[in-house]
Amino acid sequence: MLFPETIGDWVRQDTSITYDRETIFDYINGAGEVYRSYAFSHVLVDRYEKSGGQAVTVEVFDMGNPEDAFGVFSYAREQEEEGIGAGYERKGSVLCFWQDRFFVCIAAEQRDADPEAVLGEVARGISETLPAPGPRPALMTALPSEGLVPFSDRFFHTHQSLNYHYYLVRENVLNLTPETDVVLARYQPGSTYLLVIRYEKGEDASAALSSFRGAILPGFEDMETVATEEGMYTSSSHQGRFVVVVLDAGSEDAANSLRMAALESLEPLLQ
Amino acid sequence: MEKEKAGLTRRDFVKGVSLAAVGGASMGGASMGGASMGGAVGLPGVEEEIQEPQSTSRVVLIRDEGVVSEGGGIDADGIQQMLDQALMSLLGLESPSDCWKSLIKPDDVVGIKTNIWRFLPTPPEVENAIRRGVKLAGVPEENIGMGDQDVLRKEIFQRTTALINSRPMRTHSWSGVGSLIKNYIMFDTPSDYHDDACADLAKLWELPSVKGKTRMNVLVMLTPQYHNVGPHHFDPIYTWPYKGLIVSTDPVAADAVGLRIIQAKRREAFGEDRPLQPRAHHIQLAETVHKLGVADMDRIDLVRLGWTGEELI
Repeated sequence: MLFPETIGDWVRQDTSITYDRETIFDYINGAGEVYRSYAFSHVLVDRYEKSGGQAVTVEVFDMGNPEDAFGVFSYAREQEEEGIGAGYERKGSVLCFWQDRFFVCIAAEQRDADPEAVLGEVARGISETLPAPGPRPALMTALPSEGLVPFSDRFFHTHQSLNYHYYLVRENVLNLTPETDVVLARYQPGSTYLLVIRYEKGEDASAALSSFRGAILPGFEDMETVATEEGMYTSSSHQGRFVVVVLDAGSEDAANSLRMAALESLEPLLQ
Repeated sequence: MEKEKAGLTRRDFVKGVSLAAVGGASMGGASMGGASMGGAVGLPGVEEEIQEPQSTSRVVLIRDEGVVSEGGGIDADGIQQMLDQALMSLLGLESPSDCWKSLIKPDDVVGIKTNIWRFLPTPPEVENAIRRGVKLAGVPEENIGMGDQDVLRKEIFQRTTALINSRPMRTHSWSGVGSLIKNYIMFDTPSDYHDDACADLAKLWELPSVKGKTRMNVLVMLTPQYHNVGPHHFDPIYTWPYKGLIVSTDPVAADAVGLRIIQAKRREAFGEDRPLQPRAHHIQLAETVHKLGVADMDRIDLVRLGWTGEELI
């Protein structure tokens, strides 16, 4: 991927620096682990300026595949807009979007009266140089739409990422690895979480479910739905290579219903 | 809602236990509990002071409404006065000079561990106030060093006998918050401490280049950051002019107070209890596992000085 020399009145400053999986910490210190928890290979960083002293930093992360580009985009997003790449979010002076296997961020170096316009112009210019947007990870279709809290859906792989989004326990009781695919989303009413995990093999899913129940629900390993402290319910089961877990449901019925809906949504992926 | 401890929400604290089935056995995971602890501080003449179980730590929170201007400028004189007052209160001494002389000997080689994160560094005004204090103790300029990412390369940090630790608190995508405990990560290979949301950062304080040397910790809360923009970006919309310094010989206690303020600000800003992502459990674990200091707010003697508006704690 090469940065365009100009984007409208913006001129590239030819200060490109590349950071890979090992050197990423030189650029963004410990937060580099977020990218390394995906198939991230490298990030290309450059700077654009225009007359009047305006400047933006452009970062193009090659996340290895479209699923992981969406994954890192979903990691901390609170809103999502259409119109740049496969989806974008602007927070203050930073705009990020994902497209094909790339996650791209444009950061303004000065506060601007109309950051959406400034950042959007550069983002669209970068977007035009990238391959066409692709679909979201197929596993996202396992999330039933009813009750889904907008923009709460995440895609990731590892135990550390799970604990970032929903703190379970320190131990990796679900046997998550960089090879497992995980989707997590929050549901209403209440604040119920649905977790769907795809393992490499059916026996891996079965073993993970046993491990989860043994650690989290000791003495109740044979039960799909169990009442926990605080009047919450946890429901779990596995189907083929998949494990489905509902956490913090407000009732036994709610826990079962959400789990069953997820299993139904999974059926096309079981083929 | 159960009373919060150490600035961590109940959900943060007992998630594992709350998930345990009703009637089921408890499970692994950190828990708060009294423990004896080795002090992080190496005061002159006090060799590896071992505190008693259930010991307390004193923390001074000092604020000045005028120390940060509308435009973000920092009043250097105001910072100096805040630091002086905080130290006198913390140490129970009559003058800044007495305070620094109680902390530092003239023949000490002093390293000031600062933080240069480009968006929210330790302000020069704080660095200069600390440097001035070290000089008050009689340390010549050539025996005072300041560094962050270069501490392993700077010669003076190879021979320090005393450290002063200072940084701003901010939310962080991998450790929950950037803390005083975490500020020593540049004394080793940072990625060695990233496991489990940087759970064991307190191990840094056992490094030979660090252990027993820290004389004072200054957590900068002038414009702390309470929320992240994506995994690693920054925007000042998620900072606010808290206009405070937190000063303690115990880095864990100072961090626990700072964390509590950050979480209170998140509740105020978001209108709901939104836990940090990830939870900053390295602060709690610094007490329960590593015995570095006190994270339990019930055992922190918090002294408040100065402006009390929107105190959040």
